[in-house]
Amino acid sequence: MHTIEATGLTYHFSGERPVLDNIGLQVREGSIYGFLGPNGAGKTTTMRLLLGLLRKQRGEISVLGKNFHHHRTELLRRIGSLIESPSVYGQLTAAENLAVWQKIYRCPKSRIPEVLRLVGLQDTGKKKAHQFSLGMKQRLGIAAALLHEPSLLVLDEPTNGLDPAGIIEIREMLKRLNREQGITILISSHLLPEVQKLATDVGIIHRGKMLFQGTLDELMHRQRLASRIAFETSDNAAARLLFSGQNLSPELSNGSVTLASPEKSLIGQLNRQLVEQGIEVYRIATIEDDLETIFMNLTQ
Amino acid sequence: MTFIHSFQSEWLKTRRSLAAWLVIIGGFFLPVLLLVGRLVYHEKTGAESASPLFWENLTKQCWQFMALFLLPIGVILATSLITQIEFRNNAWKQVHTTPQGFTTLFFSKLSVIVVMLVQFFILFNVGIFLAGVVPALLSSVDYPTQPFPFLYLLETSGLFFLDILPIVALQYLISLQFKNFFVPLGVGIGILLAALVLMEWKYGYVVPYTYSPYNFFKMRGAELAGSQQANIHWLALGYFIFFTFVSYVLYVFKKEKG
Repeated sequence: MHTIEATGLTYHFSGERPVLDNIGLQVREGSIYGFLGPNGAGKTTTMRLLLGLLRKQRGEISVLGKNFHHHRTELLRRIGSLIESPSVYGQLTAAENLAVWQKIYRCPKSRIPEVLRLVGLQDTGKKKAHQFSLGMKQRLGIAAALLHEPSLLVLDEPTNGLDPAGIIEIREMLKRLNREQGITILISSHLLPEVQKLATDVGIIHRGKMLFQGTLDELMHRQRLASRIAFETSDNAAARLLFSGQNLSPELSNGSVTLASPEKSLIGQLNRQLVEQGIEVYRIATIEDDLETIFMNLTQ
Repeated sequence: MTFIHSFQSEWLKTRRSLAAWLVIIGGFFLPVLLLVGRLVYHEKTGAESASPLFWENLTKQCWQFMALFLLPIGVILATSLITQIEFRNNAWKQVHTTPQGFTTLFFSKLSVIVVMLVQFFILFNVGIFLAGVVPALLSSVDYPTQPFPFLYLLETSGLFFLDILPIVALQYLISLQFKNFFVPLGVGIGILLAALVLMEWKYGYVVPYTYSPYNFFKMRGAELAGSQQANIHWLALGYFIFFTFVSYVLYVFKKEKG
């Protein structure tokens, strides 16, 4: 079952080209869905549409099995969100900020110290939120999203402003929530390594179009398919000629001959042939496109 | 039930806010000035306290600057500041992703403003009372001989409250539409100045910001031509309902909610 299922989402601000062009988004129940794309790709607009912050122009949105627009209030009770910069009332303390939301969600007051502890803000006491660092405000925003124990978390770049230790802490916390409480998480980022360390599923958006959607494993498989083998030899030109004769489409690059990744047995066979031709082989290496390269290839 | 929780949440946001301080300071400002004056000129104060119309006179003195300028400007400021709490703290998007209807949200926020206005009126009247009795506690001046006219003060405040409601509704409308704090403030001050200029015009009653000054002149027994043409209190109520309705429609149908 899909926790979020959006089809044909198209959105444009007046007089501009569409910010979203026929987007389809399927977030599996229990998954951590990394929503990737460069700045301005349409991630935030998609998330704002999913939460009803923008009026839908075209397409359908279903959340937790129900049409969002027909069951808005009921569904929002089960969704926690943090969109862009955190919403923090500067003149209130961390606990008072959470009390603002606790009254609406009508969850037990005991949840306030619980979530403050969860995000590491339990010792802020009477300090007003306007005195908080950006990282602390971000944590408070995450605490507000978690307060009512939602079934779905929608987080837009939640690690913005956090230091490396804070990023790791939040990442581990999200993994734990997903694992232990089964919360489905939709998290956007423009940082691929960040998503790679956290997500089970990935969607890549660029210029309002969805370029890839699937599991992280499928993306990794794509990465493996795109990998190449490099032979560094004493005579690269002769080696290239030898490989060309076997329809392997070799290329010369950076002082070696590269081939689309062949079967393991063929690598040994090619090595033997080179030696038999009197060409010395100094190094055989796999060149794998990292996810970043795949991301760049998809978005360029 | 949802409305009560929504109201509680909205009320909590006003804690330590500028709007909350404005209510307290605004409520006591003029009575405290009058009190200081009565303490300094205690010889004169003694004669005033003996007057059979002591409380009416003191009330009129307090309302003079309040009705003409301070109350309208205070309402313009406070209403704009309440909606600014969401804009300034980047919180509209979070508020609009909470499980409450737009109608509930709209009216709970408006109710907070109205309740703060009531709070202001209570503090102002407490201030008037204190300005009347404190000189007797701190100096040799006698207590006022006239009994405290509770109903008179209630009626006076009630009419001013009604007359100020159109300003609340129009300022609320503008404040919900514009992120920039200076837009509602500028528009509000602009209309108020226009109202003060047009007050003596016989059609001055069409400008909804004139009602509080009109009521003051009426209270002093010097009713202006503009307020003689129509019942300003009914007009105030009508404008309030009309502006609230327009404001509600614009808010609910706003394309972007944070």
